[in-house]
Amino acid sequence: MSRALDLAEEALRATEGDEAEAVVHAERSGVARFAGSVVHQPTLIDNAVVRLRVVRDGKLGWAATNKVEAGGLAELARRAAEAAESARPDPDFPGLAPRAEYPKVPGYDEETAALGAEDQARLAATAIEAVPDFELYGYFTSGVTEIALASTTGLRADQAVTDAVCICLAAVEGASGWAEQTSWEAAGVDTAAAAREAAEVAARTRGAGELEPGTYRAVLEPCAVAELLRWFSYDSLGAHGFLEDRSYFCGRIGERAFDPKVSIADDALDGDNLPKAFDFEGTPKQRVDLVEEGVIRGVVWDRLTAARAGDGQVSTGHAPPDAWRFQGPLPTALTLGPGEAGSTEELTALVGDGIHVTRLHYLSVVDPREGVLTGMTRDGTFRIRDGELAEPLVNLRFTVSLADVLREIPGLGRELKLVNLNDLYDERFPYAALVPALATARFHITGTGSGPGL
Amino acid sequence: MKALAEAAVDAALGAGASYADARTVLLRRQFVITKNGQVDDLSDSESEGIGVRVLVNGAWGFAGEGRLDEAAAREAALRATTFARAAPGHHETSLAPVDAQSGEYRTPVERDPFAVPLSEKIDLCLRAEEGMRQPDVKVTLAMVRAQREHKVLISSEGTAVEQELVECGGGIDAYASAEGITQIRSYPSQHSGVSGQGGWEFVEGLSLDKEAPRVGEQAAALLRADECPSGRATIVLSPEQVVMQVHESVGHPTELDRIYGTEAAYAGTSFLSPDDLGSLRYGSDRMNVTSDATTPNGLGTFGFDDEGVPARREPIVEEGVLRGFLTSRETAARIGAGEGGSMRADGWSRMPLVRMTNLHLEPSEGSLEDLLAEVDDGLYLETNKSWSIDDKRLNFQFGTQIAWEIKKGKLGRMLRDATYTGKTPVFWGKLDAVAGPDAWQLFGLTNCGKGQPGQEAHVSHGAAPARFRDVEVGVSA
Repeated sequence: MSRALDLAEEALRATEGDEAEAVVHAERSGVARFAGSVVHQPTLIDNAVVRLRVVRDGKLGWAATNKVEAGGLAELARRAAEAAESARPDPDFPGLAPRAEYPKVPGYDEETAALGAEDQARLAATAIEAVPDFELYGYFTSGVTEIALASTTGLRADQAVTDAVCICLAAVEGASGWAEQTSWEAAGVDTAAAAREAAEVAARTRGAGELEPGTYRAVLEPCAVAELLRWFSYDSLGAHGFLEDRSYFCGRIGERAFDPKVSIADDALDGDNLPKAFDFEGTPKQRVDLVEEGVIRGVVWDRLTAARAGDGQVSTGHAPPDAWRFQGPLPTALTLGPGEAGSTEELTALVGDGIHVTRLHYLSVVDPREGVLTGMTRDGTFRIRDGELAEPLVNLRFTVSLADVLREIPGLGRELKLVNLNDLYDERFPYAALVPALATARFHITGTGSGPGL
Repeated sequence: MKALAEAAVDAALGAGASYADARTVLLRRQFVITKNGQVDDLSDSESEGIGVRVLVNGAWGFAGEGRLDEAAAREAALRATTFARAAPGHHETSLAPVDAQSGEYRTPVERDPFAVPLSEKIDLCLRAEEGMRQPDVKVTLAMVRAQREHKVLISSEGTAVEQELVECGGGIDAYASAEGITQIRSYPSQHSGVSGQGGWEFVEGLSLDKEAPRVGEQAAALLRADECPSGRATIVLSPEQVVMQVHESVGHPTELDRIYGTEAAYAGTSFLSPDDLGSLRYGSDRMNVTSDATTPNGLGTFGFDDEGVPARREPIVEEGVLRGFLTSRETAARIGAGEGGSMRADGWSRMPLVRMTNLHLEPSEGSLEDLLAEVDDGLYLETNKSWSIDDKRLNFQFGTQIAWEIKKGKLGRMLRDATYTGKTPVFWGKLDAVAGPDAWQLFGLTNCGKGQPGQEAHVSHGAAPARFRDVEVGVSA
């Protein structure tokens, strides 16, 4: 039994007869953040948080602490019980999750778990030294995250996962390029290669020009695709948005809304993503098809939202970590199915005349019900002319309906890339999207901003 | 706590650090959220730990440790020094000199928010929700929160300060939907309500239940409102929208660490350069922006920042000209002016960064009605809904929850889905009026993100209604 599960059981014992569930979220990690080719914001974290949910007569109360000695856990139990006592009964509460068998998934690598501060600094240095002609900005991080659950239903769940991420912005004044690599095995992250790829993009961005606003055909690189899906998911792919009429999917289940080449799923069991065996209620993970060949199929659920939905809906295994509880269940292993294009150049040829987007910046939801998002392109925006990559462009403001972007897809890449989506807020919870580059017939540009570079 | 921090600093110096500081933090947070008449979240969390920051050969190291005992504190110090020693690159960090500080600071509190019974908080939320109910309102939500942060900072330069910051807040949302349209109205802000430092009296002063009927009625009315037209217009922004504009297009671009590029890969840099200080025209001569870590009820109010620099009030923009940056001791030394004062960390497990404290657009004169009276044809925009700005903080696009036409100086028909866009210094150059002190309001936001690993800062902004001429409005997909 792991230390995390031990701790969960210890917290459960402190509850003294209440129906309860204890979740331990532990992290040992290091971030070697660099700017101007110098490490400037290094952060090493070693912490374990216990969250206790107590149920009294159908009333729920939560409390959390990182004071994990006996006295701390007793106080935790007291505060959770006090919260439950003060609450009102929730008629939709389906009870705590029952015992379950969990799928065997990969996702833990001993070598990655063993990386220490000096290793993280060394891997950052490898990236920096690979691009002497550019200043490098970004980070290398690796860590171990342990999630364990124990509840009075007899449920016991326990998983340790590793992750390693290198993000690289190669930049000087007037030029910048982006690349990143993510894996649950540090050996799968080549920090020097990521830096060189960023520098190659950056070298092509000098002398960026303006672009007239309008609707353009576009190639979106995997980082841009993942970011669009992430922001679309907040309102449209989770149960809260669906139940509360904010989702684009409301009233459209079964409708062919997108190009038949578009299939979107959430699949935490996929070893090419960052695999998970269960969610934060202890429900086993499963693949959930959200869009199949352009047809809208559904959203993701946890136990409470499924109970509220009725109609036999059950949890899909998407109860979120504590920090996201307010947002409800959300996909954390999005995947967009591949296409036939063997390279980005093939997609560029399919676009013919349009724009090429490497990465997006600062997205915001303008109209959730219609899936309208705004944001900027950055660090590798180019014109496409005559089916080939042409001159660099300044950063472009886009305001798009994602449905419009996905309605006509000339092509998708054959190769899927794992794109990190964890911004490292709160307790570490590694998650990513596995997506290809794609070509779209419509990407609406509504303005221009600053140029590439510093 | 003080002894632990001292032990960590001693350990760091013993391991070769030329500078070290250690912060012990005890943080408690409580949330009560009700939704559609049910208790949606009733949570009480606490976190404690120590963060140790060191300089070794000019390179930073930082380690956070959740166990508060002397062995763990010393271990964190050693891990931080190990990391700093291994850090790649050529390091030349120096710190602006600051007198060693000692003292205490505590938020003035009339009613301890943690002593308020949970049942009272739930009742307030449910009452406010009840007030928002309308036939077309499908979701009602009410939230109140409280936070207490106790921290001790010890540095190798002799600083020893202790602070207890207490904050609380609340807010309500109504989502209306019909015939494929969904609209939201919030009070006092969309961004998890509004918070301020102080006791429960701050929440009581928000009058959530009294504002609720208006919020529900407006959410429902928006379903039948016309869409905001596209074009160019004179716009008047509500104080809550002005503070978002200040936050994104003045606060972040004037953070000197961003200007030096440390956020380039994530949140971005700035259109400003260090040489712009004292000369760059940021906006019209009606634009006066002040950074003030002493503002009563401000979420960025403290006795000392997380480097031990005493709280201060400083001009950032005076009559449209850039006069100041938000700085740390490191960035102040690099630019050769000031001594920092804006360094803040999100809890014990994050390294302090240059953050906004309380950043205000200073009031001028008159009322909202006076601003509207001088508009023949324009728009009044209220309550932020969407926000985005480019990586140098130039091109922005904001959406608001609600808008009204202004016709011949008076508010006319209600409009939905209003947006406006512009480029920062051009937009601020079109500022031609700011209302007076009576219309000035303080808004505390708890979701300001920056840094990798990510940190959320709690910041406040004050503003009065403001008027801008010739602005692009009605951007659509």
